[in-house]
Amino acid sequence: MEEYAREPCPWRIVDDCGGAFTMGAIGGGIFQAIKGFRNSPVGVNHRLRGSLTAVKTRAPQLGGSFAVWGGLFSMIDCSMVRMRGKEDPWNSITSGALTGAILAARNGPVAMVGSAAMGGILLALIEGAGILLTRFASTQFPNGPQLSEDPSQLQP
Amino acid sequence: LPASLGRGWLLATRGWALLGSGTGSCSCLRWRHQPPLLLRAARRSIGTRAGGLKAAKPGGDSKDVSVQRALNEETLVSAAQKVKEAGRDFTYFIVVLVGIGVTGGLFYVIFKELFSSSSPNKIYGDALEKCRSHPEIIGVFGDSIKGYGEATRRGRRQHVSHIEYVKDGLKHMRLKFYIEGTESGKQGTVHVEVKENLETGRFEVRYIFVDVETYPRRTIVIEDNR
Repeated sequence: MEEYAREPCPWRIVDDCGGAFTMGAIGGGIFQAIKGFRNSPVGVNHRLRGSLTAVKTRAPQLGGSFAVWGGLFSMIDCSMVRMRGKEDPWNSITSGALTGAILAARNGPVAMVGSAAMGGILLALIEGAGILLTRFASTQFPNGPQLSEDPSQLQP
Repeated sequence: LPASLGRGWLLATRGWALLGSGTGSCSCLRWRHQPPLLLRAARRSIGTRAGGLKAAKPGGDSKDVSVQRALNEETLVSAAQKVKEAGRDFTYFIVVLVGIGVTGGLFYVIFKELFSSSSPNKIYGDALEKCRSHPEIIGVFGDSIKGYGEATRRGRRQHVSHIEYVKDGLKHMRLKFYIEGTESGKQGTVHVEVKENLETGRFEVRYIFVDVETYPRRTIVIEDNR
């Protein structure tokens, strides 16, 4: 498959950034549509126009903040992979913590620490869920080759 | 009914505020000395049985009974509400418990994966360190070696493929991951097998070898403790 043949890391940043923007825009769009609908004067035309205005104003903002989070996270993740030379869950947790810290930098060091803790914990939960899923999915399939002998590459 | 109750409460409280008294048992005594205007107004709103301004005592008694009835009805109404609120609180409590359970489970999984010495991730890390310090590997792949596991969707390669099996009553685990030299661009597959040591409870390495993807294929054995 071509997409796995090339090196994932630099392209992963763009991928993650775009994916996060789409998630934020669609989710924000739905949310703001309902909110704009409800906060408009009575009458379907008014409500539809209010809903559309809310979506046009707010949904890109939410998409943008999601994209910033996703892009920054992916950048730090790829940098850590490059530095450490191996791919680990530790990379994701540290990247989440650093992303949270950087994005709260305007609010001072204490807020940075709190935001870093939240980001790290969130990423740890996501990684735990991912590990659970892969382990669960891999145990669904029965054992492949018989494992009683040692591989032939080792001389006896 | 609620409006009259409300008005009754209002007048009752005003009566108490006027007299500056506290409990109901005290106030029944004091209402005998109330000004008649207040008593008549209170009597009209709450609807006492005693008609007219006969005597202070019956008026006071009925007023006292009505206020107490108002108290009882208030508690009856709030009993039904209390049941509803208790049901709602119980539902929220269950939801909170489920959330805490799920979060705790996920934390347990991630801690076991990262910190326990018998997790595949730890074994992969140790094997990678051994690969990095082996002179033959450095000779083939160069100085900086990076390791990765199976490629999942999105290109993240964190999952190391491993199989656990039991042989002769001991747990064995086989791992497979890939290494790549960033300078020479050569790729290799590392196969690791570990066996459980019953005394220490940890996993010991049984063998580590590397398949280098050159032509002809070359196998480098790093460790062999069979």
